[in-house]
Amino acid sequence: MEKDKTFTSEGNGISQAWNPILGMGIQDSELNRNCFFNPNCEDQRDLFESALSSIVSSPVSSHPGIPIPGSADCIVLRELIGRLGSICNSSEISPHNSCYNTPLNSPPNLNLSITDHQIQGNYHPIPPAPFPTDPGFVERAARFSNFGGKNESFKAAGLGDSMEEPSVSETGTKEKSTNRRKRKVVPKGKGKETQSSTTISAKDDKVVAEVEKGESDAKRSKSNEKSTEPPKDYIHVRARRGQATDSHSLAERVRREKISERMKFLQDLVPGCNKVTGKAVMLDEIINYVQSLQRQVEFLSMKLATVNPRMDVNMEALLSKDMFRPLVSLPNNVSPFDASVQPFPYGLQSQINGMIPDGPENQISMNPLMAAMHRNSITKPPHIDGFGEASTLWENDLQSVVKMAIGQDQPQGFHGQMKVEL
Amino acid sequence: MHTSSKLTKEFTKKWVKGLQICCSSKKNMDVLERKKKIKLCADIALASAKNATTSWSIALISEAKKDGENKILVDNLLGPKSPFKQQKTIPLMSTCHKRVRSKKILKRSCSVGQRMKKMGPPKSNLATYIAKRLVKKRTQVLQRLVPGGESMDEFSLIKEALDYILSLRVQVDVMRSLANAAEVSNQTDPNVFD
Repeated sequence: MEKDKTFTSEGNGISQAWNPILGMGIQDSELNRNCFFNPNCEDQRDLFESALSSIVSSPVSSHPGIPIPGSADCIVLRELIGRLGSICNSSEISPHNSCYNTPLNSPPNLNLSITDHQIQGNYHPIPPAPFPTDPGFVERAARFSNFGGKNESFKAAGLGDSMEEPSVSETGTKEKSTNRRKRKVVPKGKGKETQSSTTISAKDDKVVAEVEKGESDAKRSKSNEKSTEPPKDYIHVRARRGQATDSHSLAERVRREKISERMKFLQDLVPGCNKVTGKAVMLDEIINYVQSLQRQVEFLSMKLATVNPRMDVNMEALLSKDMFRPLVSLPNNVSPFDASVQPFPYGLQSQINGMIPDGPENQISMNPLMAAMHRNSITKPPHIDGFGEASTLWENDLQSVVKMAIGQDQPQGFHGQMKVEL
Repeated sequence: MHTSSKLTKEFTKKWVKGLQICCSSKKNMDVLERKKKIKLCADIALASAKNATTSWSIALISEAKKDGENKILVDNLLGPKSPFKQQKTIPLMSTCHKRVRSKKILKRSCSVGQRMKKMGPPKSNLATYIAKRLVKKRTQVLQRLVPGGESMDEFSLIKEALDYILSLRVQVDVMRSLANAAEVSNQTDPNVFD
C-alpha cells in the first residue's frame, strides 16, 4: 500500500508521502524499487536527494537496503551513484578538474568518475566530482567500477597521466578523446608532454569533432561491427603507435583532418552516403559510383554507335536539333534513364544551359529557347518523381519508355509534333 | 554549379570536334569500332576540357597518346598550345617510381599483418588490422578506377576521385542527352540516316 502510494505520487510529493513511522529502511528499499521502474525519470533527482539525505544521515540503516545482488540492480545502482554524483557536482566544476588532473591523490573518486562515464553513455553527461562523505558509497563505487569491462582502459589512462585539460568537462566523448590523447602522450615520456600538450590542445577542437563523431557512432552501435570500428580504431592505432617525433604525429593529424574533410565533401557528391561513416564503407560507395558512371559512359557510347550509323554530319545536325526538340523531351527522358544514378537537378539545368551556346553550329535564336528551357527546368522535378519506377526499364525498354515520357509531357509549343510522333 | 556548365560546354564542343575528326578518316566502321571511337573522343574531350588542372586528366591523355593511332586524333583535338604536351613524360616517371615504392610498402605491411595474426594479437589490434586492410584494399581498387591513380597517396586520390566523379557526371549527362536526341530524331525522321 505504501508502495502504491509511492508509485502513484512520484516526484516531488514522494518525500512528503513518506510515512515517518515506516522508517528509513523501508524508504530506501521502496526508493530502489522506484528506481527499477523509472530509471530515466527526471523525478529521480528528487528521489535521490531525499535518499541521499536519508542515507547520509543514517548510514547504518541504509546499507542493507541498497546492495541487492543481481545485474539489473547493479545497473540501477550505478545510475543511482551517477545521479548522486551529478547532484553533488552540478554547481562545481573546478574540483572535478582537480580530481581529474591528480587522480593519484584520490583513486576512489576517480573510480566514481569512471563509473559516471560508463553510466552516462546515453544521458546528458555530467562531470563527476569527489564524493564528499560516506565510505560506503565509495566502496560500492569501487565494486561497480569493475563491472565496466569495456571502459577499463580509461581507468588506466586516467591514472597514468597528469595532462591538464581545462575544458574536459563538457562532454563524455571529449573526455574519452583526452584519454586517448593521454595514452598517446604517455609513451613519449614526461619531458615532451608539456610541449605536445600545448600543441595538441591547439588542434583539439578539430580532432575532438572528428573523434566525437567516431566515438558517438561507436557508442551508439555498441557492437563490434567492422564498419563502425574502423574510424575509431584507425585513429587509435595511429595514436598508439606513437610516431618518432612530434612533428610526425602532427602531420599525421593534419593529414587525417584533410581526408575527413574530403570525405565529407564526397558524401555530398555521392548519393546515399549521408548516413555512412567510416572510411571503408565510404570508399566502397565511391568505388561503386565511379564504376557505375563509367559503365554508363560505355553504354551510352554503344548506344550512340548503334543509333548513328554515320557519325560525321549528323552530330552537328543533331546538336542543332537539340536546341529545338529535345529541350522539351530532355527533362522527361533523362529521369527514366537514371537507373543507378539519382537525378541531379542542378546538373541537368546546367546541361540545358550548356547545350544552347554551342559555337558556330547554333543558328537558332536564343530567347524563345531560353524561355522554354526555364519552363522545362521548373516542371522537371515532378516528372522525376513520377518516373522513378521507370528507371528499372532502362536497359530493356528504352523505346517504350521514351514514348511514354514524350507522351506524358506538356510541351510548350511542340504539342502538335509530339502527338504526331506517337 | 557554374563550373559544371562551363565544363559541359567545353566538353560538348570538343567531343563533337573529335567525332568529326575521327569519322572523317574512316567511312565504314562496325559498331564496336564506332563505340570505341566515340568513347575515346568523349574521354579525351573531357580530359582536355579540364586544361591540365587535375592529374587524372593528364594521365588519361598520356594513356591515350601511347597508342599511335590515337595520337594524331589527340593532338588535333587538343590544339597547338596544349599544356598536356610538356607534362607527358613526368607523370610516367613518377608513376613507376612511386608504384614500386608503394608496392614495397604494401608487401611490408602485409607481412607485418600476417606476423601479427600468427602471434594472436589482442582484440583491438586485430580489429584495427582488419579495418586497415579493408581501407587499403578499397583504396587500391579506387586507384585502379581513377585514371592515373596508382601514383597518388590516399589524400590526393580522394581529391582526384572527387573531380573525376564530377566530370564523369557531366560526360554522362551530355552523352545521354545526345543519345536521346538521336533517338527522338530517329523516330521522327527515319529517312535522315539513309
